[in-house]
Amino acid sequence: MVDFEEVFETNSMIKDESLDVRTITMGISLMDCCDPDLDRLCEKIYRKITEKAKNLVSVGDEIGLEYGIPITNKRVSVTPISVVGACACRAPEDFVRIAEALDKAAEHVGINFIGGYSALVQKGMTDADRLLIRSIPEALSSTERVCGSVSVGSTRTGINMDAVRIMGDIIRETAELTKDKDSIGCAKLVVFCNPPDDNPFMAGAFHGVTEPETVINVGVSGPGVVKTSVSKVKGESFEVLCETIKKTAFKVTRAGQLVAKEASARLGVPFGIVDLSLAPTPEIGDSIADIIEEMGIERTGAPGTTAALAILNDQVKKGGVMASSYVGGLSGAFIPVSEDSSMVRAAECGALCIEKLEAMTCVCSVGLDMVAIPGDTSAETIAGIIADEMAIGMVNQKTTACRLIPVIGKKPGDHAEFGGLLGSAPIMPVSRFGCGGFVNRGGRIPAPIHSFKN
Amino acid sequence: MSKTIVTLVGKDHVGIIAAVCNFFADNNINILDIKQTTVGDYINMMMIVDTDKYEKTFAELTEGLGTVGEKVGCLIQAQHEDIFNMMHRI
Repeated sequence: MVDFEEVFETNSMIKDESLDVRTITMGISLMDCCDPDLDRLCEKIYRKITEKAKNLVSVGDEIGLEYGIPITNKRVSVTPISVVGACACRAPEDFVRIAEALDKAAEHVGINFIGGYSALVQKGMTDADRLLIRSIPEALSSTERVCGSVSVGSTRTGINMDAVRIMGDIIRETAELTKDKDSIGCAKLVVFCNPPDDNPFMAGAFHGVTEPETVINVGVSGPGVVKTSVSKVKGESFEVLCETIKKTAFKVTRAGQLVAKEASARLGVPFGIVDLSLAPTPEIGDSIADIIEEMGIERTGAPGTTAALAILNDQVKKGGVMASSYVGGLSGAFIPVSEDSSMVRAAECGALCIEKLEAMTCVCSVGLDMVAIPGDTSAETIAGIIADEMAIGMVNQKTTACRLIPVIGKKPGDHAEFGGLLGSAPIMPVSRFGCGGFVNRGGRIPAPIHSFKN
Repeated sequence: MSKTIVTLVGKDHVGIIAAVCNFFADNNINILDIKQTTVGDYINMMMIVDTDKYEKTFAELTEGLGTVGEKVGCLIQAQHEDIFNMMHRI
């Protein structure tokens, strides 16, 4: 029989510590929509998404009500559009038409983001990949809900430096086209190394080609819950600290597993994975930086931060793995600067710089996320930052990503406002020394030696 | 058996539990267990109820309890028991 204390604990996690299920994401394959006629292709895409996801929001709300746990986002990810649009698109504008169809479908089903405006070019680019990448600035600035991602590297293939260099230009162009809104277009664009096919989190979600027709993936969260449990073991040994985080992560993930199974059953869509993530929101108390500081670091970014984050990431996985039957996606702590109020505070007071963030990405998921940089940062420097981050992912056999926002017209000391869950961020300075001679070489960085496992 | 956990918090006064119990009786909901504590002027109550014979939707149950809560000046919440079983038991 359910115990009074357990009920009290769960409900105070939800009410006082912002426990939520961050997202139910339905992956939908668009492979069967392929058509050489662009109008027909867009129509098929719209019809398939609106049919498959028609009950996604209502079922999510229903489950949230019955279990008393908020399900913050309901979203859709689709097959990378560079594949789906390859036989119909002959120019970047053709791909933009598909982005518009995705946006319309997302609006119709009542979701705020749809992911999969993507290209996977870690080894090389097809003509369609090239066109899609060229279309990204226009596609992301002329739509509201479409999120894009480009995979430019992997441990198995190395890093496609041609694509990295192009992405430097694409990020700048996207920033220019959305400069009236603090370059917000870049908040919907992720550059990946080793991206998972089943990631439920935006902006990097896409439905991989190895996935089934449709699938339900769930992303859990709960930084506030972990922070509260860490505050109860102040001064205790690392053994006690780790055990505490692990037990908390177990409980949080079990809530996600329950929601995932229910959503799968009610929607008649197979359950894919639970993503064991700690994802912050700009809300006070829903912060990863708060957990790091609760562990004993004065300000996030101070010496010890990377070790503290490594502990957090590992214990979240250890607790979460046992709580869920299938684990996948990005799984780990996220450190998006603008979406984490205490991360913003750390950056503002000079404790956290972009180089320390880069070090932190070696031990957590995912990468340099929602980092606002000066608007005059060159495309070459952006490509250099991306290359560094991709190298970390490639060598360490993990997912890394860059969601960099060169905020046009702003410089270090200024602030960018993105609004809602995307939050706000101080402009972080980047190195004034160039890397053009390196990123303009062209070609591919070979795969590292430890990738040859066959 | 479909079990629902009902929790109530608010300022204590005569008739709170009676109002909730009457609502359940009127809606064919059987009470399996009740626990309550008072801290100072405040009441904290939990009930486990069987909703098998309740003929309306969960949303209507929540709404009905919300109306009772407004009348007695308390916050009443209903949740399916599975969330607690999942989070606290292996």
